[in-house]
Amino acid sequence: MPETRVGHAAGTAPAEEPTPLVEVRGVKKHFPLQTGFLASLFNRGETPAVRAVDGVDFEIRRGEVFGLAGESGSGKSTVGRLVLNLLEPTEGTVLFDGMDLSKLSEDEMRRLRSRMQIIFQDPLASLNPRMTIGEAIAHPLEIHEPELSEGQRRRRVLEMLEAVGMNPPTSYADKYPHQISGGQRQRIVIARALVTRPELIVADEPIAMADVSVRSALLDLMMRLKEEFDLTYLFITHDLATAKYVCDRIAIMYLGRIVEVGPLKSVYGAPAHPYTQALLDAVPVPDPRHRRTQPMPRGEIPSPIDPPSGCRFHPRCPIAQMGLCDVEDPQLMEVPESDNHLAACLLRAGPRAFREQTPPV
Amino acid sequence: MANPDILYSIRNLTVEYQTRHGVVKGVDDVSLDIRRGEILGLVGESGSGKSTLGKAMMRLRNGSARITAGELWFDGQDLMKLSERQMRDLRGSRLGMVFQDPMTSLNPVQRIVEHLTETMLTHEPEWTEEEARERAENLVERLGIRRERVKDYPHQMSGGMRQRVMIALALALNCDLVIADEPTTSLDVIVEAKFLDLLKELRDEFNLTILLITHNIGVVAEVADRVAVMYAAKLAEIGNVNDVFEKPLHPYTEGLLKSVPNIELDSGALYKMQGSPPDLSSPPSGCRFHPRCPYMMEEVCPVYEPPFERPEGASEDCRVACWLHHPHPQKVAIGA
Amino acid sequence: MNLPLQEQETPVPQWEEELAKVGFVRRLLRARKWYGADWWFVAISSVMVLGFIVVALFPQWFAPYGPHEQVGPRFLAPGDQPDLPLLIVRADSGFTSLEDLATGPDSEVSRPPIAVVRGAPTAGSLREQAALIDDELQDADTGMRLRPNIQRFDTVEEVLQSVQDGESFAAVMSSVQFEEVADQFPDLEAPTDISGGVASAGDFTLGTNQIGQDVLSRLIWGTRIALIIGFSSSLVALFLGVPLGLVAGYAGGKVDRIMTVFMDSLYAFPGLILAIAITAVLGPSVLNVIIAIAVLYIPTYYRIVRGQTLSVKQEVYVEAARSIGAKAGTILRRYIYPNVIPSVSIIFSVNIADAIITGAGLSFLGLGLPPSTADWGIDIARGQEFIQNAWWLVTFPGLAIMLVVLAFTMLGEGLTEILNPKLRDR
Repeated sequence: MPETRVGHAAGTAPAEEPTPLVEVRGVKKHFPLQTGFLASLFNRGETPAVRAVDGVDFEIRRGEVFGLAGESGSGKSTVGRLVLNLLEPTEGTVLFDGMDLSKLSEDEMRRLRSRMQIIFQDPLASLNPRMTIGEAIAHPLEIHEPELSEGQRRRRVLEMLEAVGMNPPTSYADKYPHQISGGQRQRIVIARALVTRPELIVADEPIAMADVSVRSALLDLMMRLKEEFDLTYLFITHDLATAKYVCDRIAIMYLGRIVEVGPLKSVYGAPAHPYTQALLDAVPVPDPRHRRTQPMPRGEIPSPIDPPSGCRFHPRCPIAQMGLCDVEDPQLMEVPESDNHLAACLLRAGPRAFREQTPPV
Repeated sequence: MANPDILYSIRNLTVEYQTRHGVVKGVDDVSLDIRRGEILGLVGESGSGKSTLGKAMMRLRNGSARITAGELWFDGQDLMKLSERQMRDLRGSRLGMVFQDPMTSLNPVQRIVEHLTETMLTHEPEWTEEEARERAENLVERLGIRRERVKDYPHQMSGGMRQRVMIALALALNCDLVIADEPTTSLDVIVEAKFLDLLKELRDEFNLTILLITHNIGVVAEVADRVAVMYAAKLAEIGNVNDVFEKPLHPYTEGLLKSVPNIELDSGALYKMQGSPPDLSSPPSGCRFHPRCPYMMEEVCPVYEPPFERPEGASEDCRVACWLHHPHPQKVAIGA
Repeated sequence: MNLPLQEQETPVPQWEEELAKVGFVRRLLRARKWYGADWWFVAISSVMVLGFIVVALFPQWFAPYGPHEQVGPRFLAPGDQPDLPLLIVRADSGFTSLEDLATGPDSEVSRPPIAVVRGAPTAGSLREQAALIDDELQDADTGMRLRPNIQRFDTVEEVLQSVQDGESFAAVMSSVQFEEVADQFPDLEAPTDISGGVASAGDFTLGTNQIGQDVLSRLIWGTRIALIIGFSSSLVALFLGVPLGLVAGYAGGKVDRIMTVFMDSLYAFPGLILAIAITAVLGPSVLNVIIAIAVLYIPTYYRIVRGQTLSVKQEVYVEAARSIGAKAGTILRRYIYPNVIPSVSIIFSVNIADAIITGAGLSFLGLGLPPSTADWGIDIARGQEFIQNAWWLVTFPGLAIMLVVLAFTMLGEGLTEILNPKLRDR
């Protein structure tokens, strides 16, 4: 795995750095709650909204695998769709290769889609049941490379099938998605995503539905294709153990915010945010001699409609200081003795943490 | 059946179900003992028959699945001889079940407390409603849900809370055995970890026996005392959780353990198992794992089915169905 | 996000692979094994439907008579011999037909006495037939005339006695009545009937109606109009309802809301009353009935297609299509439409059955179709007043409606079972 380059992770990159492939700046996505007609009559104030993503900054560098992890409801999947402009942000901007996606016309956006693709969690659901595998893979080509002849297109489809390990390709091209196994379906989805030679792949829980014995083969395939096609991945997952095998850098999300981001080894080896710590502790280790002894944070994830004040984790946090953590909303700040590792914790990152680390002489 | 340590004993159980493409054996000649007070992990991939086995143990009808052979002994009673009515009394009162999605087993228009008291009163008619209600509230509180939440409807609770309610239901009636079928699969890791902590506590506090059916090997390693591995409707291996994880005997177990992602930074690369699980309507001949097995012995494995036995030198609790651990596979093959 | 694992993942059921290898017809036959009762449901009902379609296309192959021909006596019960007015004469009189009774200027009597039973309908038949012959004779200008002098008697015996005695030259009497007493008058014979000589006995399997039309023939010809109304109105409704539903479901927002309110109000209106109103405005014709019924069923298609579109729109594969940059039209055409259409094909069949009932209801009420049309609804309406004496007038058209509706409904329901992927693989 390539070593991550030096630079300020979440902020702006120094001038000599090439522009990151994706830059996400202050992005928010609020989904207004469906209120009934009667309720809207009586409730004239601000309509309540689910703050699925509530101010997120990060960048994805060319050629890296950027992990985005969190529990359900953390907003990680929404971020994936915002990056691809499948959802429009309520606030903030997403830059792809320096272009502001919200400023593109519909037609320009459509053309840009050949450069960014998504792999969904459920391969069966993401394939049209009434299209053969060959048709499904050929469709992106029809849209983005209409000049291709029928034969050229077919050749590209077969090449792609071979690249994802569906051998012999001709025996699969005319099958329907329900006629192949789950692991094979995910390969087809990958093939469809790669057929237009994109630069960015958003992989939204790509192996969560697969069986244990098939997972590692899929991961292996994704990594092989990354080298072969020169890809950049945004790898969205709830499974921190899997993320360990693929990600160069990882961001941990909690209630619509990134609470910690940095090189994987640094985040996993020395987590700064108490939430990251808890998440890592909670992952069951397949080794009965190393059973978890650490207590888990109390309570459950609060509602994203009305998140807690200050640090969103403070009601569950074992180290929270009242009067500070429940008041001040922490930004991503540098973690002491680290490289490129940021956390949104008032106590473990930023000036306060540095002061404690190096007491004045 | 003489052994008082054994709470539930499955003997040569076969469960068949009818599909449009013929009869499929979902569980094929499986024998398994569950000891009092233990947490037994039953792992397998989807379609391995682990859930079918769990439901058959309750004699729950599961689609077209039918028990076609075998015996089920629960605390000295032959379950196959009980009437449907007696079985119904037993379910809930002594045998509890927790499913992957508790939403499906809770009535959406009934408050949690009503559900709990009603279930208690059906099984224990001599209790008064106040007693039952008091007990329900105490239990729910014991399981870490605030007392006032018992008036909620199932949809107002989170997935973790609903799973706790299901456990409360089993505890309310002093169940001896709880069969938990993928109880944490739809839960997030932190909630899962808390639920597993709870299971361990309850086992100690109520002397509960738990059969934990899961595909998640990490979960088994975290809480189970013993682990049974199922592959293609048969048991591949059973043993003490430490022994199995340290030195898996069956090549399938070995592959499975090596292909599980491990969060420890110093763990090695992931292993890639060949192939995919077989179609149970036409399982492979001989050892069912032989097409995927790296140690397959040409003359034996594809032809003869391995016996489920304790290999020589292995610990007392260990059983494995693999020719590699048989002293004379060739001889047995020729003799058979 | 932790989603539940799919519990049983079937790689490729072997039977599906097998199925893919064989031809269409053999595939149909083999499917019997996997679909069981549903297969038989569909098989039987499609044979029935096909049968009805053939009958509707070629009624002349099956119907013994035309739909409007008055071919027999009135109110002939199913299976009965037709009750013909017989001409009865003395065997030695030499008369063999009514024409033989014609008189010329040189005849002894200018008006031949012919006996009938008082109050019997035979007198009418006699007068009609005689007038017919008389006209012909006058046209031929032979000087011959036929103007019977009708003698009325109270009983059958008296009538026959008067012929036997020679008082009357002949008698006209129903064949049934004559057969009862024929033995007592060996000298008399019935050389012919005076019905006009059309019907031979025994051909009216389902009887005749009040104007002597064959019930079976009208039934067979009526199939045509029933199926025309059923198919065309369902097709019209389909061609309007499906695109509207697709557009409303996919576009959403204001377009959807306005169209849905409109369609819902149409749907909420009692169906038959709406159809009555439309036909009353448009006037009676087959086309107008089709339009009226089609309007009635547009909301059915609209609602189903819109609902399906809304749910298919949420599918991940539609999001996937958007993520590869497909345009809205392409998504509708290639991703949504093919996944919506199976449910439409199912309701289409059930819808035809519904439309046939509504069509029959309309014509039963005397609306829509011109009254002379051979139509089951009209036949039921017309037979209704005779229901106490002539049950067959309403029963057989009623049964026909029931059978057609049953066939189409069974086909629709059977197809639902087979095509519905959720119900499959049980």
